[in-house]
Amino acid sequence: MIEVKNLSKTFELSRKQRKELNTTETEFKALQNVSFTCHPGRVFSLLGPNGAGKTTTLRTIGGILKPTSGSVVVSGIDLEKNPNEARKKIGFLTGSTGLYGRLTPNELIAYFAGLYGMDKTTMELRKKWLFDLLDMNFYANKQIGKLSTGMKQKVSICRTMIHDPDVLVFDEPTSGLDVISAEAIINLVRSCKEQNKTVIFSSHIMSEVELLCDDLAIIHKGKIIEQSSFQDFKNSAPNQSLTERFIEIIKKSEEA
Amino acid sequence: MKPVIHIIKKEVLETLRDKRTMMTMIVIPILLFPVILSLMFKTTQYFSEEANNKMLTIAFDVEDLEHPIIQNLMQVASEDSLINMKPVIVFSETKALIQQDSIQAAVFINQEQAAGIEAVVWHDGTKVDLMDRITKNIDKAKQMATNKQLEQLEIKPKDVSGFEYQMMSTASTQETIGKLAGGFLPYVFIAFAFLGCMYPSIDLFTGEKERGTIETLLTAPIPRWQILFGKMAVVVLSGLLAASLSLVGLYISIRGLNIVEDPELLGIINSILSPKFIITLFVLQIPLTIFIAGILIPLAIYSKSFKEAQSVITPLNIVIILPAVIGFLPGIELNATTAMIPIVNIVLATKELVAGTLNYGHLMISALVMCLIAAVAVFVSYKQFEKETNVLM
Repeated sequence: MIEVKNLSKTFELSRKQRKELNTTETEFKALQNVSFTCHPGRVFSLLGPNGAGKTTTLRTIGGILKPTSGSVVVSGIDLEKNPNEARKKIGFLTGSTGLYGRLTPNELIAYFAGLYGMDKTTMELRKKWLFDLLDMNFYANKQIGKLSTGMKQKVSICRTMIHDPDVLVFDEPTSGLDVISAEAIINLVRSCKEQNKTVIFSSHIMSEVELLCDDLAIIHKGKIIEQSSFQDFKNSAPNQSLTERFIEIIKKSEEA
Repeated sequence: MKPVIHIIKKEVLETLRDKRTMMTMIVIPILLFPVILSLMFKTTQYFSEEANNKMLTIAFDVEDLEHPIIQNLMQVASEDSLINMKPVIVFSETKALIQQDSIQAAVFINQEQAAGIEAVVWHDGTKVDLMDRITKNIDKAKQMATNKQLEQLEIKPKDVSGFEYQMMSTASTQETIGKLAGGFLPYVFIAFAFLGCMYPSIDLFTGEKERGTIETLLTAPIPRWQILFGKMAVVVLSGLLAASLSLVGLYISIRGLNIVEDPELLGIINSILSPKFIITLFVLQIPLTIFIAGILIPLAIYSKSFKEAQSVITPLNIVIILPAVIGFLPGIELNATTAMIPIVNIVLATKELVAGTLNYGHLMISALVMCLIAAVAVFVSYKQFEKETNVLM
């Protein structure tokens, strides 16, 4: 479970950034009192236009950014009070996740398993299960830099799942991927849901949202402007497509 | 400490697979000196032999043929098959002939003897080896003239030898070598420590940002300082390895290429290279390399791309190496004041170490100053690494 309460994040703006954004403000409020809850066995979608605050929210949940105020509780552990224990419960994957090109999948997975404090026997068993599941054995000892995009994506999935996290955070996980690689991610999200894991993901692709989502929140200019179950969201405007409804909500928010 | 060691192991493995880092860390330091010194040695030897075996043509005005100076020179030439005396009719053209290397010198008899100068020898001052040979032979002719004059006065030349003397230095040969050539050693290891730290610091920090791997690493359940320390340790190790290997390369050059032919000098060099010397030299490199890594890492963290990091870091090379030049200056020694100046203190301490005159009190001050500055550099790196805007793209 993920409980996000009154989460705010402010970035200080450098002189260069102020010039680029054409503003006199010295800080930028990326998130303002964001609150939502993601439940185990359900997929939570965080939607929003570019620069809305999706990545900042997910990076804060992932422990990469420190919140200015508010709290994030992951599987009952407060991220601010006990960051390392909370991070152990999280698997984080983004579409732009890079991998160490000079390592092999075997070495990379062993490296991250070590960082998560896994013992060798558990790591080997888990790795074998994941490699078999994702059909990765034939390139397990090839350098990652020499693998195809699809193979790399599987290595990323394996890296995210190696420590068997309770919570999975996906930030636009299919962005820039071909259909086959994206399919692997969609299957992963489904499999996580079946395993009663908590999944939060952000995406621009409405067909993916429609396919996977149980609950959703729309974020715009750092604020949550809509939050409901996916079914309620759909039922609220049965004659509109998901994209039309999304655009309408954003426009309304801009007018308000 | 377990995660730090885990990070170190991974970074070492990845660094060893990076061809560019391997080149700057291992291949160049080991091969540079043997290759450069060998080339220098062979080239110098070739040109020196060529100059010594070259026919030395000395021109003179045909009208001065009977002049005693020319006569004496003719006698010197008759005893040396590599000297040719050439009478010329139009003497004003000799300068052009020297520049064309048709002749190597021209003797002009000064009839007016202004300022007591009887002869002027024209030559090309850029050809040092040839100039030595010309001077040597003119001196021979001059000595002949002196001897003849003494004989005319019925004085035996050996009776007017003046007095003989011998210079005795209070400094030992090791001290002299240390003070004169010892400055080269720190220059070498500072340059290579910098080079050894440069690529790993860019690769491990800027590269990690550019490749998008830092985001994943930051989600791992370990404190950020452990990530920094793990990476920093690898940068320092790379710098130490490059610096040490450059000294190995230098040693191979001295021993393998027989650059030092004088057995006495070789004996002194061997006696300098004691285990105590090698250990002290290595210990001196540790705070220096941490200091260099501590300067490079914040810049690498701050840079957004490999190219930006390179353009920021490369000019710093000069700033770091410039103090090493002080090692070449005579008269500057390690004392309580110079021991307080970072980098300069290590340079001077190394020089004193080679000379065998190292004051361990001053060495302690130098090491303390460098450790203090290295700690500040590490702290700055830590602060930069903690900044979210620096670490994430």
